[in-house]
Amino acid sequence: MASLGELERSVMTLLWDSEHPLSANEVCEQLDEDLAVTTVLTVLARLEKKGMVLRERSSRPHRYAAVASREEHTVEMLNEVLGTVPDREAVLARFIGSVSESEAAALRRILG
Amino acid sequence: MEFLALFLAALAVLLAIPVPKILHTASFRGRSPWAAMVLWQAIALAGGLSMVGAPIVYGLSPFGDSLPHALSSAVQLTLSEDYETLGQLEVHPWHIFALCLGLFLGGHLLLTLARTYFRVLGARRRHRQLVDLLSTPLPNTVDDADTQVIEHETPLAYCLPGRTNASSVTVLSRGLLNTLSQPELGAVVAHEQTHLRQRHHLLTMAFEAWYRALPWLPTNRYGRDAVLELTEMLADDGALTRYSPETLLRSLALSSAQTPPHDDGPASAPQLDNDVPGTSNTLITGARLQRLLAPKEPLGKLAVLGVVAGSAALLAVPTGLLLLS
Repeated sequence: MASLGELERSVMTLLWDSEHPLSANEVCEQLDEDLAVTTVLTVLARLEKKGMVLRERSSRPHRYAAVASREEHTVEMLNEVLGTVPDREAVLARFIGSVSESEAAALRRILG
Repeated sequence: MEFLALFLAALAVLLAIPVPKILHTASFRGRSPWAAMVLWQAIALAGGLSMVGAPIVYGLSPFGDSLPHALSSAVQLTLSEDYETLGQLEVHPWHIFALCLGLFLGGHLLLTLARTYFRVLGARRRHRQLVDLLSTPLPNTVDDADTQVIEHETPLAYCLPGRTNASSVTVLSRGLLNTLSQPELGAVVAHEQTHLRQRHHLLTMAFEAWYRALPWLPTNRYGRDAVLELTEMLADDGALTRYSPETLLRSLALSSAQTPPHDDGPASAPQLDNDVPGTSNTLITGARLQRLLAPKEPLGKLAVLGVVAGSAALLAVPTGLLLLS
């Protein structure tokens, strides 16, 4: 059986690729793995707590949608890494950044 | 006690202003980054200790001849509300002011450190969640360390420290994988894993907090920047145990490009061609690149021993004076 982390990934992928919000039953059907709906509900609840998934409470059964697209989350991550947000001192030690663009250009010329 | 307070104040000023200014450009840091790292950590600790210690020692000076004695008698007299004895001690308002200043400064430093620690921890946890959901593991990695790939064209590599080495992760972008050759990529991963293995995020944390706590102290920036640079040098050294300086330099040159190197606009191209060959070396001022381009002899054993002994003395002097004198 897949770990919770892997399940979260597959559920998120499903929601990102889906054009409209999905109910837990629909998620369960579309996942390849043979899972109980309760397990899917647990995974969805975890993702909601992490702020990745929005639950639509107006309908019955509740439907779930991704808060932001995959691309938007990637940009959010990169902004943290590239230091364009004030809260960047998560000290994600960076390989780049300590070399300025002009130095890198000079380096490229030296190395040929 | 007054003399001790004066000495600590002088030490605090010395360690806060001229020493970082001189040290952050000292050339020996490129020859033995870890010795320089030990020295910086000692300076930060000794500087903080004397900065907080000086006003406290002065404030408590009417209460006794040594800090432990003065502290216990001050607490006892206050608790027993022995105003008669207190009145005979000639406690000047300045003493009370200094004591408050010292306690405030110490509390401020500790609180900022704690706040920075928890903020950074939270930011890392959030970031880690995104990495877990968005990235795919890099196939056939060199060793069993966790290396993940995110789908983005910016050439990028970084590491995200976890509680243990096993829960730390190195993240590479698709753009980097497309730009670098296999050995260059290996050098990048080795660099990041040295950051994680040597827990560099812990070495920089105090300096980050220190900088945040006293942003008006201009020399604080020197310490933070110097320590960040040293962690990069140490990580480079880790990569150099398995890869050549050329490979590392090449990967640095390529991954630093915010735009792909072949995308030089027509406007910038002629300027580049006009450069006299050989002058480009002067453009590289960063000590980190200098030591990769033209490696210098590592610092001698005796010199390293001197730096480490100096660091130990730096720490021992204020601590010893506070506790024993």
